[in-house]
Order: sequence, then C-alpha cells, then structure tokens
Amino acid sequence: MTDVQLFVGLGLLLWLLGLHAVMTHRHTIHRLIAINVSGSGVFLVMVSLASRGEGVDPVMQALVVTGLVVAVCATAFALRLGSARQQSHDEAESPS
Amino acid sequence: MNFLQQAMPLLVVLSSLIPGLIIFTLREDQRALRTFLNLAGVSVQLVLVALMLLGVSRGFSFKLQLPFIPNADLILRADALSLQFVTLSSVLWLATTLYAIGYLKGSAQHSRFFGYFSLCVSTTVGLALAGNLITFLLFYELLTLTTFPLLVHRGTREALKAGKIYLAYTLTGGTLLLLGIVVLHSLAGSPEFMTNGYLQAFQDDHRLTLTLAFALLIAGLGVKAALFPLHGWLPRAMVAPAPVSALLHAVAVVKAGAFGIIRVVHDVYGISLAHTLNLMSPLLWLAAFTIIFGSVMALRQNEIKKRLAYSTVSQVSYITLGVALLGPIAAIGGLVHLVHQGLMKVTLFFCAGIFAETLHVHRIQDMNGIGRRMPLTMAAFTVGALGMMGLPPIAGFVTKWYLGMGALEMGQPWVLLILVGSGILNALYFLPLIYRGWFGLAPERWPEDTGLGGGIPGWRETHWMLLAPTLFTALASILVGVLAGTPISPLAWTHFIVNPEFGL
Amino acid sequence: MSWALLSLASPLLAALLALMIRHGADRIVLGATLISLIAAVLALASINGEQPVSLNLGGWEQPLAIRLELGHLSALLMILTGTLHLLVGLYNRVSDHGTSSRSDYWPLSALMHAVLLALWLSRDLFNWFVTLELLSLAAVAMVTLSGPKAYAAALHYLMLSLMASLFYLLGIALLYGQEGVLDINQLAQQLTDTPITRLSLLLMTLGLMMKAALWPLYLWLPDAHANAPTAVSALLSSLVVKGPVFILWMILWHLAPAPFAEQLGLVLALFGGVALLAGAWSAMTTPYLKTLVAYSTVAQLGYVLIALGLSLRWQALELATALWLFIIAHALAKVSAFLAAGEMQGTYGRKELTVVKGATLTMPVAMFAFAIAGGSLIGLPPSGGFLAKWILLQPMFTSPAHWPWAFTILAGTLASAAYVFRVVSLSFDQPDITPGSLTQNLPAQWLSLLPALLVWGLALLSHPLLLWLSRGAVV
Repeated sequence: MTDVQLFVGLGLLLWLLGLHAVMTHRHTIHRLIAINVSGSGVFLVMVSLASRGEGVDPVMQALVVTGLVVAVCATAFALRLGSARQQSHDEAESPS
Repeated sequence: MNFLQQAMPLLVVLSSLIPGLIIFTLREDQRALRTFLNLAGVSVQLVLVALMLLGVSRGFSFKLQLPFIPNADLILRADALSLQFVTLSSVLWLATTLYAIGYLKGSAQHSRFFGYFSLCVSTTVGLALAGNLITFLLFYELLTLTTFPLLVHRGTREALKAGKIYLAYTLTGGTLLLLGIVVLHSLAGSPEFMTNGYLQAFQDDHRLTLTLAFALLIAGLGVKAALFPLHGWLPRAMVAPAPVSALLHAVAVVKAGAFGIIRVVHDVYGISLAHTLNLMSPLLWLAAFTIIFGSVMALRQNEIKKRLAYSTVSQVSYITLGVALLGPIAAIGGLVHLVHQGLMKVTLFFCAGIFAETLHVHRIQDMNGIGRRMPLTMAAFTVGALGMMGLPPIAGFVTKWYLGMGALEMGQPWVLLILVGSGILNALYFLPLIYRGWFGLAPERWPEDTGLGGGIPGWRETHWMLLAPTLFTALASILVGVLAGTPISPLAWTHFIVNPEFGL
Repeated sequence: MSWALLSLASPLLAALLALMIRHGADRIVLGATLISLIAAVLALASINGEQPVSLNLGGWEQPLAIRLELGHLSALLMILTGTLHLLVGLYNRVSDHGTSSRSDYWPLSALMHAVLLALWLSRDLFNWFVTLELLSLAAVAMVTLSGPKAYAAALHYLMLSLMASLFYLLGIALLYGQEGVLDINQLAQQLTDTPITRLSLLLMTLGLMMKAALWPLYLWLPDAHANAPTAVSALLSSLVVKGPVFILWMILWHLAPAPFAEQLGLVLALFGGVALLAGAWSAMTTPYLKTLVAYSTVAQLGYVLIALGLSLRWQALELATALWLFIIAHALAKVSAFLAAGEMQGTYGRKELTVVKGATLTMPVAMFAFAIAGGSLIGLPPSGGFLAKWILLQPMFTSPAHWPWAFTILAGTLASAAYVFRVVSLSFDQPDITPGSLTQNLPAQWLSLLPALLVWGLALLSHPLLLWLSRGAVV
C-alpha cells in the first residue's frame, strides 16, 4: 500500500465517521463538529491525491484552499445562527 | 373576406370571453352595466353565428390555425356539425342569461357568477369549434374549470361536496382523454378532423393501439356525457342554481361529452374504421343500458330536479346510441337530439327553477294543483315532458322516429324495444307530474308563496325574466318538431352534416 | 458573451452596493435586476440559432482555465432568473408583508441572483461547488429574515446543505484524482467507465439530490420554505432548488457511462414517481397553507426526476426538453402560488389552510392567482405545465413496456389536482369575514398573478421555446 492510498483511505474513514456522527447526534455543536471532521476527511483525500503523480498537483492544492475558506465561512455562519437560536429559546423560556 | 374567414371563429369565442372578463372586474352594484355587457355579448355572438351559418351553407369555410405545440396546431374552424352546437349554445345562452338575471335578483356575488357564466359559454363554443383533438382537449379541460365555480356558487356544504365529486370525475375523465389523445398523436400526429377520419392507414398494423385509444377516449368523454357507470356526478350536480343546472344539462357539460363522442366516431376514426375494428357494439350496449338505467333511476326520485337529472342521463345516451348504430338515419336521429334534448331539458329545468323560486316547491308531491296557480309555466313543463316521452309533434318525437328507423335499417331491431321501453318509463315518471300539476287538488294557500312578479296566474304568475325564456324554449321545442320537414329546421341541417360521413 | 457578463456583474455589484448603502438598497437592487434581465435577453438574442460561446476566465488556457459557456439553455435560465427576481423583488417592495426597504433581503437576493447566473454559465465541476455553497449560504441567510421562529429550520437546512456539499466535494476529489481535469467537456471526452468514476458520480448525485430536495432527500425543504418570508419562499422554491438540478443533469448526461446512466436513470425515475405521490399526499394532509405549497414543490420535482431519469435510461434527449419545460413552468407557477399564499396568510393574519375560506370573495385576485398557478401545476392545457407533460408523455407509447410510466404521470396529475382543489374549493365556501373588513394590497396581489399568467401564456411561445430548449439540451 502506497502512502497516497493510505491517506486516501484514512480521509474516507474520517468522512464516514463525520457522516455517522451528523446522523446520530442532535446537538447543534456536535453536529457542526461532525461536519467539520467529515470536511477534514475530504480535504485529506484531496491533498493526498495531489501527490499521486510526479511532484505536487497545484490545482488540487488550490481547490483545498478554496474549500477551506468556504468551510470556515459556513461554520462561522452556522455557529452564529446556532447561538441566535439558543438566545431566542432562552428568551422565550424566561418570562422576564 | 379571407381575413374575416380566419377571424370569425375566434371572434365568436371572444364575444363571450371578453364580456366575461370585464364582468369580473365590476363592482356588485354595477348591475346595469353587467346586464348590458351580457346582452351585448350574446347579441354579437348570435349575429356572428348567423353569418357563419349562412356562409357554411353556401360552401364557405371558416378556419383559424395557430401554432401551438409540435405537430399539433390550435385549430378553430366552423363546419356543419360545430355550427349546430354553437348555434344551440348561443341561443340557449341568451335564454339562460335572461333567466339567470331574474333568478339571481336579490342574491349576492353576481359579478363572479356572470363572469364564470360567460367564460363557460366561451369554452363551450370553443369546444364546438375545435378543429382537432388537441384543441378539443384544451377546451374540454377549460370547461371543467369554468363550470366548477358555477356549480359551487352557493358555497353551501352540499354544493362544495358536489363540486368535489364533479371535479374528481371530470378531471379523471380529462386525464383519460389526454392519454387517448397522446396515444393517437404518437401514431398519427394531430391533423384536422376530417370526414371519414384520418386513421385508416393504421388499421392493419395498429389494431390494438387504436382500440386502446378508442377505449380511453370514450372513457374520458363518457364522464361528461354521463354514460353508465361514469354518471355519478350528474345527479349530485343539480344542487347548483337552476340556470346553471339548465345550462349544464342542456348544453355545456353533458353535451360536450356527447359532442366529443360524435367527433371521435365520425371525424377521427370514421365510420368504416369503426366498422372494421368492431368498436361500436360495446358502446351501443352501454348506451342502451344507460337509457334504461337512467329512466329507472329517475322513477325512484322524489325531488323534481333529481328526477330531471336522471332523465338527462337517459336522454343524452340517445345521442350516443344514434352514433353507435353506425347508420346514416340513426346518426341523424342522434345528432338532431343534441338540439332537441337541449331545448326540452332547458325548458324543464327552467320550470323546476320557477316552481322552486316562486312557491318553494321542490318535491313532486308538492306539485298538486300548481297548474292553476302557474298555468303558463306548467304548460311549458308539459310541453317539455311530453316531448321527452316522444309525443308528436314535439321535438323528441322526431328523434325517436329517426333512431327507430335507423335501428331497423342497420338490422338491430332490439333497439326498438329499448326506445319503446324508455318511452314507457318516461311516461311513468313524467305523467304523474303533469297529472298532479293540472288535476291535483291545490292547497288553499300556497304555504311559501313569494309573490314573485305579482302572483297572479298568467303573465304575472312569476317574474317575467323567468317566464319569458321558459316560454321561448318551450315554443322552440314545438317549432323544431312541427317544422322538421322544412329546410330551416335543425333536422335539415343534420342531414347536411351526416350525409358526407356516409358518402351520400 | 459580454451581455452575459454584464448580466452577471450587475447584481453582484448591486449586492456590494446595497451592503454599503442601506438607505435605498431596494432601488439599487431592483435597478440592477432590471439591467441584468435586459442583458440576459440580449445575450439570448446574440447567440440565437448559433453555437454556444465559451470564455476562459483570466485568459488561462485549458486545462487550467475556468470556463464559462453561454448556450441557449443557459441564456433562457438567465432570463427566467432575472424575471423572477424582478417580480419577487417588486412584490417584496410593494407588499405590506414584505421585508423593509433597508432589510438584508436586498443584498442577499442580489447575491443569490448573481450566484445563480454564475451557476447557469459555469461548465466546471469545482466552480459549481463554489456557486452551490454561495447559493446555500445566501438561501439560509434569507430564511432567517423572518425572525427567530425560522432559526431552527434555517439551521437544519444549513447543516444538511453542508453535508451535501461534502458529498459533492468528495465526488469531485475522486474524479479529479483519476482524470486531472475539471472542465465538463474535457471530462466527457476522456472519462472511462471505472469503479472510481461510478463512485464519484454517485457521491455527486447524492449531494445534489440533497441540495435540490429530490425525493427521498427532501425532508429539510417543507420547514425551510414554509417558514421563510414569502418573497424568499418564492425564490427558494422556484429557483434555488433548480440550481443543483441543472448540475445534476449536466454531469449525468455528459459524464455517466451508458450502462451506469441506464441503471441510475431507472432509480431516479422511480424516485420521481414516488415523489409525485408522496409529496402530493403530504400536501393533501398538511393543515398549513404555505406548507402545502412547499410540499407541492417536492411533488413537482418528481416530474423533474422522472424526466431526468427516463432521459438517461432511454438516452432520449427530447426528454431533456420536457425537463427544462417543467423547471420553467414550475418556477413561474410556484412564484405565483407562494406570493398569493403568503399575501393571503399575511392579510388574514393566520397560517392555517382554512384562511382561504371564502377567498374568492374577500381576496379574489390573490385567490385567482393561486388557482391558475395551480392549474399549471396540475398540467391543464394550455399552461406550461401541460406543455411539459405533453412532451414527457410522447415517447411513452412507443412500446407497451413504457405504459406504466404514463399511468404514473397520470396518477401524479390527479394527485396534484387533489391538493390544488383542496384549496380552491375551500375558497368558494362562504367567508367568515365581510370583504370590506380587510386592508387589501391590490398591487401586491396583481404581482402574484403576473407569473401565473405568464405560465399560461407559455403555450403561445412554445415554438421558439422548444427550439431553444432542444438546442440547449444538445450542449
């Protein structure tokens, strides 16, 4: 087994792990972390595939960087939304 | 002239569509304008139809063809058959509009009612003028949509339930019709209707497909034509206001189905192909059964309108019967019944509406002596009822005569038994009404007399707007029977329609 | 091509401007939408009848360059997007139940518009990923505009959407790892039928189906669409779910090896059949008006799935025409249905289905809009829905083995009639309120009627439309 295959396999495993966690957990933060684990799995697959030929494939690296940016933005947005929801929940529960 | 020939069919449709659309935008209190628009629309339409009748009888053709979907243009054209239906619709539109104005006085939501009423006439006229199956389908479906609001107009629970049942039946029918049309379209495209049909070329290789398509088409059309066992919606639909029932039973809906069956048999499949594929015997038996079934059911009803509704089930199947016999004389009987049944049935429903509105009489046992309170209405009712039984010289007799002769010509003498049996049943369910009306013991005072129109027997027995259309259609039922032998009668026009189909 | 770029740049710029200048954001965005729409029309005119035009961004050569392509289909979808954004934006401005002129609706909707245009124009797997992500973020943000009650639905939508993106991204990674290119034309030329190809296509399909709410991955849709502000619901149902469908069609038609496409096509078409009935059933039983309209989207996407699946299974390109017609007709009808439903819900002040009781008398225009939009959803002639169904039905009678599909479609027709008339017949009931007691907003109601009229008029346009679509499908 080559390094590339090893890391691709590992990435797929992470992806599946995250997927499983997203489906089984209910808590917002848990699910968000699971999604990020899953995302890291995909990025691991991508960076390992970048070195499949001779040298390193720059396009794949560029894709990973773009993907990371998107993932960070989406996570931040989800966190903000989650906390806003929590806030509105709390306000609704405490009749002040 | 050329332009006019193209524009004519469209103008006829627009003459009721445009007033209808304007009426929707009117406020409730703009009564005069609404009435004006209604009457203006109907007058324009009558003039246009008269012009086209004249033109077609002299050999002109009126046709408008617009691109619609691939290999299937939108075709509106006036041939002899379509004009017969158009004339019936616009004449009865006039009568029914007057009647409806009188009938709905004092109730609300006139703009909605008359708006849909005009749209309903437009779609009926469009359906009559449809020049190929796809155009026919278009108006057939639109007819469902425009009649539904009229049916549920009162907004009562019962009306809404009847409306839902109506939709369930007619939309299913529409989908079956669509399927049948798609099958034929994938075989032969959607050319114009033509004498003797356009499918002969496929009769050797595609017997199964043609038979399947025929079954689908008849099932789809049979729903509106109230063929057994697809008639379930019709008796329930009589909860609609009387002018709507009159229009539904006499022209708009049931006739659309019957008219479609005529079109499919004569102008899509053609007589000879229908013979070859032996498509007609099941239809013939079904029509015969429906005639007897409808009559028997009518006998069991206690409400006047319900009895009339089942009578429609029975009478409309005369048309199908005439067509299914596949002989020229029987076809004339069937086609002319399109007009005759329309005139007689509209009269009967008008009368039932008058009884209900003026005296709140809905059931048969309450009709005792009503002839003394409302002699003119009862006379009109008698004319319609006797006509339905087939008594000369009223219109119904002509139909039965031709159907009987046609059956003998085609070597199907058992059909005579059906006609006689149906005549006897008709007598059984109409004569008691006539007897009660004229000879029954009238109550001292009518319990719920509204005193409409003055309440004096004679011209002022009810509102003149209700009475005048009723007398007009009753008179027309007699006239078309008496004048059947003259060249201006519907019968003569029917000869003109049917002869080419049989190569005469 | 320059018209297409103008069409794309104008809403993008407006989104930035509207963020900076909050006062008058509505006017900026509406103006930019109009410019974009006109440019899209000119773009269609510029390629009318000719081959599609390509542009490599930044002047790079293939295989490095990101390629945009303007074909008939893309141009039509651009016009559709512009028209609907303009209509919905105007509605949002005019209606008493829209968001305010300073709200975040304006920059977000302009961003959504630009992203959709970029999606229609892209021909590159990774670029599609970026547009998909932006589309989802904009859509989720817009769902939250209706306040805290929508946060839960929005969050659920966001999570699923992120997960779906990872499916799609993993598919791209595997495919790129094997082939080394991302451009769809090049992939189509060199792709071979390997297990990796199949796996990656399957992953992408799953991700896109989740994003497009195709059965059985639709569970996020009804909540998100029903809880969003009316204008947003309209955009989500009519346009946002169509973006992933576009990509799905592109990759499956161009990349899927024939035997794989036939298997997958069958599965998709079967899903479509179930979606038609299951979605309609949910619409028939839900007690809420906007939820009914949202479930109707699930059902209508069933037609899209059937058209997509069968076109793959039978390798029938003409069914792609039906697919796009369904998408266009549904988009127009659904905008009308959502705007009318939202306007009625806002005016009557309740979200139950029973608010429409007597609506033909109390809110005739909005109710009429809903009813005729429903007519197109059912597929009654001569509406756009009918046209699409007609074309879909054509190849079904070539062999008896195909007949079950025809009957499925018919069952779907009747099922959609059932939920549409559930609302319509209620609207003919006697109203509980007097018509005069409502404060009506007639311009908003007329705006909701407009797209429904357009979809009924589609039949008149059918000739050029079919011509464009059949050309577009080849690309």
